[in-house]
Amino acid sequence: MQEYRKILIEKDQVVPIAEKMKKEGRFLVMIHGYIDKDGQMDVSYEYAVDPAIESYHVVGQMELPSISEIYDTAASWPEREINELFGVQFEGLDTSQRLFLPEDMLETQGRGHIMVTPLSELVEKNKKEAQS
Amino acid sequence: MSYIVPIGPYHPALEEPIHAKLYTEGEVIKDAEVFVGYNHRGIEKLATERNAIQTLVLVERVCGICSHSHALTYALAVEAINGIQVPKRGEYIRVITAELERLHSHFLWLGIACHIIGHDSMFMHIWDERELVMDLLEEMTGNRVNYAMVTIGGSRRDISDELRRKILAACDKLEEKLKRITEIAVTDKTIALRTKGVGVLTTETALKMGAIGPHARASGVDVDVRRDAPYCSYDDFEFAVPVTPNGDVFDRVVIRALESAESIKIIRQALDLLPEGPINLGNKLVKIQDGVAVARHEAPRGQLSYMVVGNGSFNNHRISVHVPSYKNTPTIPAMLRNNTVADAGLIVASIDPCFSCLDR
Repeated sequence: MQEYRKILIEKDQVVPIAEKMKKEGRFLVMIHGYIDKDGQMDVSYEYAVDPAIESYHVVGQMELPSISEIYDTAASWPEREINELFGVQFEGLDTSQRLFLPEDMLETQGRGHIMVTPLSELVEKNKKEAQS
Repeated sequence: MSYIVPIGPYHPALEEPIHAKLYTEGEVIKDAEVFVGYNHRGIEKLATERNAIQTLVLVERVCGICSHSHALTYALAVEAINGIQVPKRGEYIRVITAELERLHSHFLWLGIACHIIGHDSMFMHIWDERELVMDLLEEMTGNRVNYAMVTIGGSRRDISDELRRKILAACDKLEEKLKRITEIAVTDKTIALRTKGVGVLTTETALKMGAIGPHARASGVDVDVRRDAPYCSYDDFEFAVPVTPNGDVFDRVVIRALESAESIKIIRQALDLLPEGPINLGNKLVKIQDGVAVARHEAPRGQLSYMVVGNGSFNNHRISVHVPSYKNTPTIPAMLRNNTVADAGLIVASIDPCFSCLDR
């Protein structure tokens, strides 16, 4: 079975770890984003340290440095996706174009689209609308 | 004169939606951009409202070609969270299905590549071989797509002794025909003229952009999850990982032919060594324990990874799907540069793209 190592890190360790991994010639498997049980944003950087995966989690941060300078599109596409779905801001990332979701996502308040994860502002907006 | 040539989202060479903007100087492409997201179905969101067995059915529908890979990788992730040990026979049957799927996927792509090149007789020959694999899969699983062979804790259907012998006999036949296909692919002048030196992705660029799977191996990057991080008893089998150095479309054709031969080798070993015993741990629905796990599988197009987060209930808290095309699609502009517009369709198709997978 493939081993999975979960390691908690701080925001300022993201770039040094990416640089170290790139130097060692490791593949960036994926950057995942999810909201954990406590409602905290969890962004995890998974590196293939074969045969295991080292997974670096940053919890509770909505602003992170981008590692797309180091890992090119292997990092910038997942970062753009997380930005779209969760609203996490990646410093230095070009988010002028949508990757997966429609351009008018926010204007149409998500109506007619399947929401992948609740964009917090939309959830708030819908709640307010329901109350009024 | 410089023009912007749009390709897609609807294009005769690609049955899946992608939009590419080609910035051309005369007939030569100087730069390109790709746009995805035309097939976003919100699979990840749907999965949060389903239990493990229902999710298996759902994730199989992410992709029509590598459906077994998706179900397998999801099951691997859930088994990792819950610490479930799959019976050996169940693992072997998973491997056999996965390798048959790789065969049919590679044959499908080889056929399409020949069709785009304009070598239609080769296309028909290859798809004829593919039909042999599809028949085996149908007999084994009951379906031509969405095999439903995986359950949490094993496989759903057993392979009888009669079927085992039948697959072994088919392997001999396939091997012989594949040899002929490989020989034609390597020596045929039509294929060489249309593919050699076309859509080159250098080793350096492939590493920089993180390309994976056969696409990367054709560019000289030696990666394969089956060998580097074995799962599902893949370390029981002997197989080679072919790597070619040039990174053009020709190498991508060759690498898929070579990989198909290795898949046949694995299927034969798995059938010869098929252990006795149960194929799964029963049908009891499992709660996904509180935790997070990532599983990786070498799908036909490259490394497929699933992250599953559980919260102690039957439903997933979150799943995140990362398909091989996610890494390979961004390399398209780098391959298109300094090629002609006439080759653009072939180059885009040469990564064996799956945009339905990518968009989820």
